[in-house]
Amino acid sequence: MSTEKVDLLIVGAGASGALYAAVLAKAGKKVLILEQGPDWKLGDMVSNEIWGRRLKGGAPVTLEGRDKMGYGYNSGYGSGGSAAHYFAMFPRMLPSDFNMKSAHGRGLDWPMSYAELAPYYDRVAQDIGISGDAKAEERWRPPGQAYPMPPLPSFRHGDVWLKGFDALGMKTARATVGINSREFKGRPACVYDGWCNAGCPTGALANPQSTYLKEARAAGAVLKNGCTVTRILTNAKGDRATGVEYYDEKKQKQVQEASVVLIAAFVSQAPRLLLNSANDKHPNGLSNRNGLVGRYLMAHTGSTIWGMFDEPDVQNYMGTLAPMHWSYDRYGKTTRKNAFGSTLWHCSPAIKPNDIGGIANSRNDLFGQPLADFIKKASKQLARLQAFCEELPNADNRVDLDTSRKDEFGLPMARMTHTYDADAMGLWQAGVDEGLEIAKAAGAKDYWAIRGAPTIHMAGGTAMGKSAADSVCDGYGRTHEIGNLFLSGASVFPTEGAVNPTYTIYAVSLRGAEHMVKNWASIAA
Amino acid sequence: MITMQRRDFVKRVGLGALAFTVGGAEVMLTPSQAHAQGVPYKVLTAEEAKTLDAVCETLLPGAQRAGVTHFVDHQLAVPPDQSFLMARVANVQPPFVNIYRGGIGAINRSAQAMHGKRFEELDAKAQYVFIDAMRQNKIEGWAGPPGPFIYFLMRHDAVDVVYGTVEGIESLGTPYMAHIAPPTRWEA
Repeated sequence: MSTEKVDLLIVGAGASGALYAAVLAKAGKKVLILEQGPDWKLGDMVSNEIWGRRLKGGAPVTLEGRDKMGYGYNSGYGSGGSAAHYFAMFPRMLPSDFNMKSAHGRGLDWPMSYAELAPYYDRVAQDIGISGDAKAEERWRPPGQAYPMPPLPSFRHGDVWLKGFDALGMKTARATVGINSREFKGRPACVYDGWCNAGCPTGALANPQSTYLKEARAAGAVLKNGCTVTRILTNAKGDRATGVEYYDEKKQKQVQEASVVLIAAFVSQAPRLLLNSANDKHPNGLSNRNGLVGRYLMAHTGSTIWGMFDEPDVQNYMGTLAPMHWSYDRYGKTTRKNAFGSTLWHCSPAIKPNDIGGIANSRNDLFGQPLADFIKKASKQLARLQAFCEELPNADNRVDLDTSRKDEFGLPMARMTHTYDADAMGLWQAGVDEGLEIAKAAGAKDYWAIRGAPTIHMAGGTAMGKSAADSVCDGYGRTHEIGNLFLSGASVFPTEGAVNPTYTIYAVSLRGAEHMVKNWASIAA
Repeated sequence: MITMQRRDFVKRVGLGALAFTVGGAEVMLTPSQAHAQGVPYKVLTAEEAKTLDAVCETLLPGAQRAGVTHFVDHQLAVPPDQSFLMARVANVQPPFVNIYRGGIGAINRSAQAMHGKRFEELDAKAQYVFIDAMRQNKIEGWAGPPGPFIYFLMRHDAVDVVYGTVEGIESLGTPYMAHIAPPTRWEA
């Protein structure tokens, strides 16, 4: 059964899909988004860590490798994708992230420079509302526009670390965040209650529901939830996408024709969809002649330090999940002696008692009455310091198909295989060592590091690049083998820097979406 | 620094009420009320629930009274994409009952081998020593899902019901500050 053809069919209603939908719908295109999960509205975002888990999960995956991907925590399930529960911490990548291969012979080059992307970072800030101090940030990056709002206020549990940074001669700046420090475009200022991880219902945090998804719907884009896209369909020649096959909310198989198809799915699902769409013209999957679909999966290690401060109340229950302060002083690729790559320091998030980022999990060796005593004390004295550390793209870290496990529609599930290399572990360990020094110098009464390198954020799998030989798509997300099939989101990142991905997802997507509008006639022809 | 202002009156609903069947009729109870009334379980057997209750109470005092087993049992009864369990976030493959059943079974097999008793029949000190060994993967002959992971999951459940609630956070002397308070129905 087929429905009326649309101009642009988007797979996934996360950060990137919502942005493309807004831009293309405003340009007069007929846009349809198919989203697997529920249509979360702002009113569904209950202020509770346990309820917030509904926003996570998504399609089941198989996890393998020594350092298995933290899929369940990082993924999103439903409208907004993982940006429905993200912390809106918005560090930019730096110029050195875009030409690592050329400059150092490591990793991969992006098909664009920082200078080409910078105007889009600036415009996204004006679009969705970003609070920060651009001048202070320009200590580490080329100058650009001011952010539309001043930084958020700080709380004692973030400020306590500054003495430590000073002692080590490290400069800090107020963090740049997608959270309103004052009213912006009719959306209220944040009230600093720390419920970001459960989804922000007020509009203070720039989740897709409050920004691009709202704009997309207002401009006429249609969102259908409960729809699982199973295959991209092509013409007989195999050089054009004709639409997608999907199962609707009643589990009925449907075909949706489209002039252009955009896969804006999560890092696990974008490669899976290309691989599951194999046909006689593309026996290894779509846009996979070079065998690179699924390759270069990346995560961030997090060097995590906790400190107890001998103060009556550091107000760690106040603030946002995004940090108040950060430092790019260790961002240079060759900063660490024995490990290559970037490190970004940041502090501190609001802390709740439970869940992954909670008080109890900061000391997972404690249980019984000692745990209860610790939680009581920590609820007034605990603060967190963390470094995100880069992982270089490694072809062995990948998404492929787990043919031994099928979903309810009979299609193989995605398998994510991931192991950190010596550079990633070296950066993580250097971060742990330095973090403990910062904590000591900050005067923490007790401080400790979390053992084991976590897998935070996810990127890669359908890397963009300059050449069809060494990438899956070009700098606008256009696949090398099918001219009207596009990719967007973190899966197109060739490298990840040491920054949260979403600000860069928005900037790259805005660049790609405007290119699509400008070149619509040739792309959709 | 900003002075915190309480701006939202939050009903003291704890974990919210769940739909339980009592005497053939569906009634709404909080997990702690369900525990107090001895409401039958939907998924767990009574024996499994006794063990889970004892393990969680060892992990965090107060978990039993907060109704941890009724909370877990209810979340095991709903479809996995509606579940609130940490298992969902921790990449456990559904159905989630398998990991609980596997963990409870392994705990009791080891407790039997070591003490000739089920876990819930051990005295408090022996329970504490057992959990301390389980979390460090130091129980010889352990047969089941990895002990440290079972510790991780059940400890999160215990912390969820004791401190992940309006009552729990306020019991620490910290404000809850909900935008949208947890509804009275503890269901998706």
